[in-house]
Amino acid sequence: MTTTNSSAATASKNPLHIPSPFRADEPDMTPEQKEQQYVHDVYQVIAPHFSATRYKPWPVVEEFLKDMPAGFVGADIGCGNGKYIGVNPKLFVVGSDRSSNLIDICGERGHEAMVCDGLALPYRPEFFDFAISIAVIHHFISPERRVAAIEEMLRVVRVGGRILIFVWALEQTGKRDFDKNVQDVFVPWAMPKKAEPRRDRTRNTAQEGRRRDRVNATSRSGEASLSGSMDQLSIQDGQPSTLSTSNISAPVSMQPALSMSSSSPSSSASAAALAAAEPVSVSASSSLTNADALLTTQESRAENMGQTTAAPVFNRYYHLFHKGELEELVTRTKRAKIVQTGYDRDNWWCIVEKTSHK
Amino acid sequence: MRLITHNMLQCHVKGCNANNFPLELQEVVLEQEEAELNEDFLRNMLGKLEYEALVATCLKLDINDLPATLPADAAYNDEFLQILHRVILETHIKSGKMICPNCQHIYNVRDGIPNMLLAEHEV
Ligand SMILES: [Zn+2]
Repeated sequence: MTTTNSSAATASKNPLHIPSPFRADEPDMTPEQKEQQYVHDVYQVIAPHFSATRYKPWPVVEEFLKDMPAGFVGADIGCGNGKYIGVNPKLFVVGSDRSSNLIDICGERGHEAMVCDGLALPYRPEFFDFAISIAVIHHFISPERRVAAIEEMLRVVRVGGRILIFVWALEQTGKRDFDKNVQDVFVPWAMPKKAEPRRDRTRNTAQEGRRRDRVNATSRSGEASLSGSMDQLSIQDGQPSTLSTSNISAPVSMQPALSMSSSSPSSSASAAALAAAEPVSVSASSSLTNADALLTTQESRAENMGQTTAAPVFNRYYHLFHKGELEELVTRTKRAKIVQTGYDRDNWWCIVEKTSHK
Repeated sequence: MRLITHNMLQCHVKGCNANNFPLELQEVVLEQEEAELNEDFLRNMLGKLEYEALVATCLKLDINDLPATLPADAAYNDEFLQILHRVILETHIKSGKMICPNCQHIYNVRDGIPNMLLAEHEV
């Protein structure tokens, strides 16, 4: 899962794209529930749009993969739409992600991929020659869980095997400017006003093309407002596409929509469509939230803010890493050494080598 | 999922640490799909495969092509590598169940994709 957005350059002044501090005081929520609501549920819903903006490999990752000896076996943990799985055809890479909708996209592209949790990988110990974790660990909600994610990757990689880790940087100065004192944030994902996903240039199947055509057709008929994009989302839900099997109870936060505000019935209608859509038990997770309850809560929150009109925005939780923090987490595992570190495209990255079995 | 992937999976339910491999396949639908032969990959796999488990799994799926034991010259036995390639890389499980021999947990494969997520209390 990656963190930049092709439309962010033009949308950087859009108030809906401004990050806000993470509400650390959410009552009665376990870390698992928070990650479910503020990470997993969001990626389930935004999967098609997210995937359409993710096709270009980052150079550091590409180089890491292309430098691997032919025949090496790797794990892409949190692979999203699988954009790195086929980068080096001489390797065998298995992708995994929490989002079944993103994994479905990998499957359509012919990639080897499965749905699983980064903290409980289903692989035999020391099976892999290498692993990558690109823009994943910043979604874990505590330092302990971030270390556990690194530990779990070290478990499945052999001694001498390398892991490339990318995390979002607090110090970034590009498209987003974060408050340097706030490391735990909500970063909104706004569906586009007009969805014109760029073609995947690597492996775009005919099936996917058809789905995107439908998306485009839908968005053309919608108004140029965020409510239009929600229409598009809910209509997509009715399609026999990746979203149709999803549980779509993602956090929909009712933020003030300002100039783009819309009190049109379509907004509430699509919210209702979202809420009414039947959750299908695609995952074994029992912590899926109820869409009705979620929307009701967030509507009342919007009312408390004195807003009568609202536009849906999907807030994802991020922990922004400061310089040296990733290395510190790796050091805590006591069975890996840091081979190389760097900063690229708003991310800190490091290459880790496993040094001992335990 | 390819058969090679089945050979790397184990049950990861909390506390299920022994006899949790290989997951037993049931109600499986297979599909053959051609792939490019990668000898480097196959040779690398020789050191990683649980060969006995692979053969046993294959027999249950009526795939009888693999020799019962790994040939001593496997790495340079072209005929064997061809068979291994066909079995582990070109044979796909399109749907079915994978059952842990120890705790009986069932993992489903649908549209070629295994769902290895656990419920919260199982992690
Ligand atoms: Zn088990």
